[in-house]
Amino acid sequence: MKFGKEELLKLYTNLVRTRAFDKAAVKWLAIGKLLSFYHPAEGGEAPGVGGTTFLRPDDVISPHLRGHGLPHLIGKGVDPKYYLAEHCGRSTGAGNGLGGIHAVFEEFGLYGGAGTIGSCFPLSAGWGVAAKKNGREQVVVCFFGDGTSNRGTWHEAANMAANWKLPIVWVCENNGVAQYMPIKDAYPLNDLANLASAYGMPSAVVDGQDVLAVAEAVMSAVELARKGEGPSFIECKTSRFSAHGIGNPDKTHGIERTQEEIDELRKRDPVVLFRNSLLENGTLTPEDVQRIDQAAVDEVAAAEAFIDESPFPDDPSILDKALYAE
Amino acid sequence: MRQLMYLQAINEAFAEELERDEKVFLIGEGIQTGTFGTTTGLVDRFGPERIMDSPLAETAIAGVAVGASLMGYRPIADLMFSDFMYVCADEVLLKAAQWRLMQGGTQKLPCVFVANMGGYRKLGNEHSQCPYSMMLHSPGLKVVIPSNPYDAKGLLKTAIRDDNPVAFLYHKGLLPMMGDVPEDDYTIPFGVADVKREGTDVTVIATSFQLFWAMAAAEQLESKISVEVIDPRTLEPLDMDTIMTSVAKTGRVVIVDEDTERCGFAGELATQIMEQGFYELDAPIKRVCAKNYPIPGGIMEKFVLPQPEWVLQAIEDVMVD
Repeated sequence: MKFGKEELLKLYTNLVRTRAFDKAAVKWLAIGKLLSFYHPAEGGEAPGVGGTTFLRPDDVISPHLRGHGLPHLIGKGVDPKYYLAEHCGRSTGAGNGLGGIHAVFEEFGLYGGAGTIGSCFPLSAGWGVAAKKNGREQVVVCFFGDGTSNRGTWHEAANMAANWKLPIVWVCENNGVAQYMPIKDAYPLNDLANLASAYGMPSAVVDGQDVLAVAEAVMSAVELARKGEGPSFIECKTSRFSAHGIGNPDKTHGIERTQEEIDELRKRDPVVLFRNSLLENGTLTPEDVQRIDQAAVDEVAAAEAFIDESPFPDDPSILDKALYAE
Repeated sequence: MRQLMYLQAINEAFAEELERDEKVFLIGEGIQTGTFGTTTGLVDRFGPERIMDSPLAETAIAGVAVGASLMGYRPIADLMFSDFMYVCADEVLLKAAQWRLMQGGTQKLPCVFVANMGGYRKLGNEHSQCPYSMMLHSPGLKVVIPSNPYDAKGLLKTAIRDDNPVAFLYHKGLLPMMGDVPEDDYTIPFGVADVKREGTDVTVIATSFQLFWAMAAAEQLESKISVEVIDPRTLEPLDMDTIMTSVAKTGRVVIVDEDTERCGFAGELATQIMEQGFYELDAPIKRVCAKNYPIPGGIMEKFVLPQPEWVLQAIEDVMVD
C-alpha cells in the first residue's frame, strides 16, 4: 500500500499527538489528576498509530495496554480528551466516570477495554464472528504485547479465527519485555510471528519503530481480511523507553536496566526516525514540524482545560442505570 | 395440554427464538449433534452458520458470545457442563457480567450462557457443580435455574430476548422430565417466584432439582406439618417479596439448595431473610446443601449431595426449634 503526502502527514501528526498526550498522562498521574496507574507508551507508539491511522471508522480495534491505548485511539480518530477525562475520573469521560482506564467509543469501532491481559483474544474472535456475519467488510485489529502472547487464550482465539477465516489482524507489539520478564526467556524462538504458522496464518515481522512500515504491513493484512481471506499476524519489533508502569522499577529478573541500554533504545525513537525521513524526502518542512508540534501542545492544553472544568460524578444512581440495560 | 420433556422444551425455545430473530445464533461444542438433546436437530432448520459447532475452546466460545453481542447479535454460548464455566470465568464473570457498567453503562450485551448443572449422576466434581454462587457474586449477570419443562421454555425465551447477559443453567437430572408445555409463544418474566404448594407452618425454598425432594417431603409430612414450597426460578433477579410474604405467614424457613453450603446461595438467602424479617422468624433458618467437600465420583456423592431424608429431617427440626 502506497501513501500520499496527506496520509503521511496524518500519520506523522498522530505520532506527535500520541507522544504529547502520553507525556501529559505521565505528568498528570504525578500530580494526581490522572487516577489509578499509567503504563507509558514512549518508544512504543508506532505499532498503535501505524496500525490504526488508515483503518475505516467502523473497523474494530482492541487497543494494547501501552499508553493505555492512546496510540490506537488517536490513530483511530477518537478525540483523546474524552478518554483522558474518563481516566481522570470525570463525568464527561467516555465511560461517564465509571470506567477509569476503560473506555468505549462504539462509533470508532472501540467496544471497550479489558483489564485482564489476554482477554483481548477471545473478545476479538467475537468481534470477528460478528464482522463476518454482518457482511459489512469490517475488519478487527487486535493489538497486544509480547507478554500477552504467552496467554493460552491466544491459542483458542487464533485457532478459531484461522479455522473460520475471521477478518482479524493480530498485531503484536513486541517491545522485548513483559513488565519485568524478557520475552527471550518467555518464548523459545526469536520471532513471535512463529505463533501464526501453527494455524496456517500469514505473518510478517516489521520494524516497529518505523511507523510507515507498520502501517504498510497492517493495511496489507487488513485488505486480505476485508477480502475474506482470513486472519494475519504482524509482529512489530518495538521498544519501551521507560519502566513498565509509572513508579515501577525498570528491571528485568530483578536487575536494573542500565542507562547505556536505555540510551541505545532511544537512538531509535519512532517520532524522530519518521520526522527525519519525511524531512529528508521533502514531505515535511521544518515549519511543518514546528506547526504540528505546536498544534499538539495546544491540543493537550485544551484537553487539560476541558478536564479541569469537568465535574466528578457524584450520583450513585448512575450505578443502577449502568448495571443492567432496561 | 401437550407434554414435552424438559430437554425438548429447551430445544423448542431455541427453535422459536431462532425463527423469531435472525440475530440469534448458537455456538458451542458439538451442538449440531447435541450432547444432551437440547440443540439436536436445530442445524437442519437453521443451518451451520447459526448453529455453530466450535472447536473445544470455552474461553473463545464465551468470548464470541460477549464480542458478538456488543455488535448487535444475540448469541447463545452452549458451554455443555456449567463446571466448564470456570475455564471461561473471565469471559462470563468479568466481561459479560461487568462490561456494561465498566464502559459507562450505555451498551447492551444480549448474550446467554447455557449449560447443564448438578449432580446425582456419579460424574464427580468437574461435571456436577452448581456454580451459580460465583455468578451471583459478579453483579451484572442474570441467573436462571428452571425446575420443569414449562419454566424452561418460558424462561429461556425471556433470557434470549433480554438485553443483558443471562446464565441459563438447566439441571441434568431433569432432562427427561415430562411436563405441560404450551405450543404457543409464551414467556415467563424474571424475578417472579413460583409458589409450588401452599402451607402455613414452614416455608421451604428449594431450587431446581431440589424441588423434587422438597415436594416429596411436603407430601410425606402433610398430616402433621403444613409446608409451603417456593421455587425462586431466577436467583438474579430474586423475588424476595414472595419469599418474605411466605415467611411472614409461617415464621419458619428451610432452604434446600444443591450448591456447596459454604458461601452458597442458601447462606445469602438466609441472610436476606434475616435482614428483612428477623422478627417474623420463630426459629433459626435451616439449610440443606451440598456438604463442604468436593463432590466425589461414584456412590460416595450421596454423602455430599443433599438427600431426600435430609430435607425431611430439616423440616422436622425447624418445627421443634
